[in-house]
Amino acid sequence: MSGDAPSADAAAADASSADGSRAADATDAAAVEEGEPRPATYYHLARAVLYREFLIFVRYPANAIGGIVVSLFFFAALFLGGQLLAGQALTDSIEGIVVGYFLWTLSVGAYSSVSNDIGSEVQWGTLERHITTPFGFAPVALLKGVAKVVRTFLTSAVILAVMLVITGTRLSLAPVTVIAVAGLSITSVLGLGFAAGGVTVLYKRIGNWLNLLQFGFVALISAPVFDLPWTRVLPLAHGSAMLQRAMVDGIRLWEFPLADLALLVAVAVGYLFGGYLVFRAATRRARRLGVLGDY
Amino acid sequence: MARSAASARGGPRERDETRSEADDAPSDGTPGPPALAVENLTKRFGDGDDAVTAVDDVSLTVERGSVVGLLGPNGAGKTTLIKCALGIVIPDAGSVRVFGADVRDGRRAAYADVDAMLEGARNDYWRLTVRENLRYFATVSGVDPDSVAARHDRLLDRLDLTDKADTPVRDLSRGMKQKVSLASVLAGGAELVFLDEPTLGLDVESARTLRAELRRLAAEEGLTIVVSSHDMTTIEAVCDRVVMLSNGRIVADDTVEALLGAADRDVVRVASPDLDRETIAGLRERFEVVDVDAEAHPPGVSVVAGGDRLYDLTDALRAAGVTVSDVRTVQPDLEDVFLERTGSTPGGDSA
Repeated sequence: MSGDAPSADAAAADASSADGSRAADATDAAAVEEGEPRPATYYHLARAVLYREFLIFVRYPANAIGGIVVSLFFFAALFLGGQLLAGQALTDSIEGIVVGYFLWTLSVGAYSSVSNDIGSEVQWGTLERHITTPFGFAPVALLKGVAKVVRTFLTSAVILAVMLVITGTRLSLAPVTVIAVAGLSITSVLGLGFAAGGVTVLYKRIGNWLNLLQFGFVALISAPVFDLPWTRVLPLAHGSAMLQRAMVDGIRLWEFPLADLALLVAVAVGYLFGGYLVFRAATRRARRLGVLGDY
Repeated sequence: MARSAASARGGPRERDETRSEADDAPSDGTPGPPALAVENLTKRFGDGDDAVTAVDDVSLTVERGSVVGLLGPNGAGKTTLIKCALGIVIPDAGSVRVFGADVRDGRRAAYADVDAMLEGARNDYWRLTVRENLRYFATVSGVDPDSVAARHDRLLDRLDLTDKADTPVRDLSRGMKQKVSLASVLAGGAELVFLDEPTLGLDVESARTLRAELRRLAAEEGLTIVVSSHDMTTIEAVCDRVVMLSNGRIVADDTVEALLGAADRDVVRVASPDLDRETIAGLRERFEVVDVDAEAHPPGVSVVAGGDRLYDLTDALRAAGVTVSDVRTVQPDLEDVFLERTGSTPGGDSA
């Protein structure tokens, strides 16, 4: 807090002592009747954003259930079709496929929910209200992203459980390790989602095409990080390799080399920050062109 | 409404150092900075021959607690002016200060006290209930929703939304949705509120209700409201002062009474079946005829005839053998004022 900034109490006292405006007169009466409004903290903001996500999730479950059913349908087709074609070879690598598919559903959920959410907010006229907030857009956007990730984890957990049942596979599901590694892995995708959302704000039609990017996540998840180490700096690739080790080999979070963990965090933060910068640049350009909020 | 809803916060607003120079009213009782101060604002869209100057060197001050209307045709620059004031559009030149805080330099500080209902925007979440929207947007506006729960109840009551408080917005009628938009804008306690075409698309009854509620909210809550509209009824009913815009420039800026008074030229409308073309031509030679309605039954003519000129007019009518069926004075409205100043109507499209 700035040392020069007036305290909350002082500001309130100043406001109530200001005369010459109807505001001050009405304020006093209303304040006595209703008590002073209190400033919202980041806690209140986080609560509001997460609660809104929760409400929509429980009130309109068809969207979430639809996503789960479609994901499971594709997985079943992949697994059963693969069994016919590859037989034992598929069964030998099924654990890796389940983990990869789990991470893919997480990635798609995080990416599309963030980029689509920004598109929807533009359409609804609510994006401006999240930009013209005294909190600043960054924390609001970040919290919205976290809310989307939490929701995606819930749906992907269901998908994972059903996949394990279908395939009869057993994986290590140490919650802290899985959530930390998978969460950091898809944080990079969250950054891509923000970037795509920014492009959507500027170029509405191109934004829709960017949804196709999510199919590219398959390549990132299966990137050959051992043969081509540089691919580790791509989104998802390094995290995917770590998640395989965590869930298939049962390695715990604290058993990973520090360098691996550091790279995981660096990639996550790097892409998230980069995505936010793209979003910020795009919205700034949209403000200059006067197209922010146009649809 | 509590000014402190916007200012007495220890959250992000207070952290912005620019807030310190944009402090509230001094404690010695002198008024603080105006709610809105726009100086030499200019915004162009496009380049070269296609460039359009949406706002052209506009300067404007809105004092706290006043209700100011921006009147002008589509394309006059009203929405761009509002968006510049909100920082949603970055101007090419000029400055906007909201309660003393520069929108460009310290946007977060400026956003502490301002909110807007923009034209055509839903502005809220239709899948949430009315009350959930109020709580959500109060928080986003920087106010702990629990601390303004009573205020939200009062707002819902005033807007006749109490019965619908727990209904998802999508299930409400268009007029009600518009009121929820307004409520969600007011939920955070912003003291300066921009309303861009608030009655657009509403039926006559809903528009009338919303106008009455705006007027009441402005009076009772002490809000500073800037209403943009091309609908003169809304502007005339709600605003203390009118700023007329045409082609991005201010063509008039005064109180409604002063604008109407300046345009009041004692026009008299005379109706008679005897008003034929020849008689009207004779009247034109001696009087300023401002309107002729030859198709009416009986035909009518509007003539500037204040003071002694009224006697001259009756003499002239008698001499022409006109038996008057109806005579009445014509009160100018804002449309007449706008027409006089710009040569076009506020309901049309600006060039």
